[in-house]
Amino acid sequence: MDGVANTTQASILERLQEIFRAELDDDDLTIGMETRQVDLKAWDSLAHIRIVSGIESEFDFQFNLAEIEEINSVRQFVDAIRDHMQ
Amino acid sequence: MTESTVRPSAKLPLHALPWLPRPAARMREAIAALPADPLQALDAMRALAQAGWEEADLRQLGRRTRSILKSAPPSFAADARKQGLVPVNLLILSASTANHLADSLIGTAIRFGFLLQLTIAEYEEPEPWLERHREELKRNPPDFVLVASDNRMLRLAAPLGDEAAATQTVEAALAQVMRIAEVAFAATGKPVMLQTLAGDPDAPQINMDLGLAGSPRHLASEFNRRLAPQARQAGHLLLDVDGLSASVGQGTWSAGRYWYAAKYPFAVAMASLYADHVMRIIAAQMGRSRRVLVLDLDNTLWGGIVGDDGIEGLALGTGSPLGESYSALQRMALSYKERGILLCVSSKNDETIALDAFRNHPEMILKEDDIVAFRVNWDDKAANIKVIAGMIDLGLESFVFLDDNPAERKRVRDALPAVAVPELPDDPAEWISVFQAAGYFEQTSFSREDRQRAGMYKANAQRAAQLERIGNHDDYLRSLDMTLSIAPFDQPGRKRIAQLIAKSNQFNLTTRRYSEAEVAGLQANADAVTVQARLADMFGDNGMISAVVCLKNGMRWEVDTWIMSCRVLGRRVEEAILQHLVREARAAGASELIGRYIPTARNGLVRDHFEKLGFTKTGGQVGGETIWRLAIGEYADKELPMKIEAVVSTGSASAA
Repeated sequence: MDGVANTTQASILERLQEIFRAELDDDDLTIGMETRQVDLKAWDSLAHIRIVSGIESEFDFQFNLAEIEEINSVRQFVDAIRDHMQ
Repeated sequence: MTESTVRPSAKLPLHALPWLPRPAARMREAIAALPADPLQALDAMRALAQAGWEEADLRQLGRRTRSILKSAPPSFAADARKQGLVPVNLLILSASTANHLADSLIGTAIRFGFLLQLTIAEYEEPEPWLERHREELKRNPPDFVLVASDNRMLRLAAPLGDEAAATQTVEAALAQVMRIAEVAFAATGKPVMLQTLAGDPDAPQINMDLGLAGSPRHLASEFNRRLAPQARQAGHLLLDVDGLSASVGQGTWSAGRYWYAAKYPFAVAMASLYADHVMRIIAAQMGRSRRVLVLDLDNTLWGGIVGDDGIEGLALGTGSPLGESYSALQRMALSYKERGILLCVSSKNDETIALDAFRNHPEMILKEDDIVAFRVNWDDKAANIKVIAGMIDLGLESFVFLDDNPAERKRVRDALPAVAVPELPDDPAEWISVFQAAGYFEQTSFSREDRQRAGMYKANAQRAAQLERIGNHDDYLRSLDMTLSIAPFDQPGRKRIAQLIAKSNQFNLTTRRYSEAEVAGLQANADAVTVQARLADMFGDNGMISAVVCLKNGMRWEVDTWIMSCRVLGRRVEEAILQHLVREARAAGASELIGRYIPTARNGLVRDHFEKLGFTKTGGQVGGETIWRLAIGEYADKELPMKIEAVVSTGSASAA
């Protein structure tokens, strides 16, 4: 059970990595589950919206406004994506 | 989702740009595979950009373009221009967010052959911004200004049912936008693009509201209805955002959550469509819209194969639903002919049989006479299109090719990348809307000449026949009984002058583009000598065929702009115009005329223009620019094979 969850998490993280690199315009950026908005200078409020829209087009679902406002870490993104994909 | 997973028969939404072929790979991989040389990379990106990418992909393309330009050497712009990649500077004024559109716009621009540089003013009323940046704009003006006004900037509101208050509200908003346009034009001297207001899906959707003064739908529709003619009158460009939003659906267009989260003016996914429209208007204004529609015959203009099925076996006209759809397509082609688009035919067929269908099928809407050039044979279509381009003397970048057969489309696209070849859905009933959405024939102005253009090209064919009969070129010119009418720029001619300036690429010495408002400015400028010329002959009126702007610089008059329609090449019109300029210069006491040739990818035709006219080369620069001089005192009047009726700048008429 945990194995499956971890695989999903790993594959989501891998796709998120690409989105973060593209939207923050940094090809060398490495993110992890523990990365938070406060850790990355480039992850400002406008970049946040770009990341949100990048995720929406990559995973083909929509965040609601409350999620857009509340999410401020990679872990929260991964959890929200998993919720929406179920 | 990758585009390749979309079934070809699935109907694509408009913001997927369905007229473009689907991407063959993922953008990330395509970008990773780009050549290292910046110029080669841009060329490859231009080819890549011809596919229907979605917004996120376009942004990647835009981002890479930006980084290439940032690290390119200073000589790069000139090299890129030689390959047909033209730098364009755009200033966007928005009271909402606009920076997130930058990379989509840049990625779209490269599809049109533009290297877009952006200045973006966002979250701010445009007027104070323009005021603060006045000096900077004067020093370094953009090529275009886009006033990206939206509902939030204009805040249209009036009490329900109060006609006077509603009118006042709309008037005030119009005055605000027109003032911004005026200030932007005064600050930059460049064309200004205004936007209509998108319908708001969050407004009450009550049916009667369109007629209820003060309701949001009434105010927005009144604003749009009045803005369009005012913009046209003032010579501004119009981006019909309301039309775009209506075509995809207001709910799809609307930013929704993204307005609350980030003040986006419209939904993220719409950026591809919005950017395409911004670029097609800029392209049209820069003389890069298409002018020729080449049509296939079998299963494109009619259903069936005329060689196999015979005329009576074709699906065309009121007999069948399929026949009706082909009739509608023919009507669409005819409607473009009325806008000045040249219709041609390229078909693999027996010419006699194909012409027989044109002449004898009772339901044919297009007649033989509507077609400027026929190439009906068994040759390769790409080769035929090249022949047509030679016949009517227009470059391949003016061409659109419409064919039902995917293999033929791909073949022409591969062989002639400059030709636009729309993808078509399987069902002919869906073709027209896709074709119309592509906007190949975008225009920013309309003049009487547009409607007559096809006739003019036909008359040219008759002249060619006359020349063949007479043989001697001078005798032929005299036999044409030409009258050249020369006058300074004036109000009635302004639209056509602006259009000539916008569209002429080949016979254009400096390729300086002036908007209608700028043309009006030149007309009023006492230091500018302006010339418009019309040519008529025994085969018909060619209309206005040349425009020249000379800037007085004391005794040295410099030719700022010299444009002529290629329709009248070889008629010695340029010699007559020079003679006119010399007379004006002499009368004003000027001592010399200075000419300048600035090369582009398309104006090689006039490289030796000034030399042929007797000017002496006085200088040249890297990049091929040359400077020429003619001493007024050394010019001797010539005997020219035409009657010249001239109105000189002082207002008195003379005949020579």
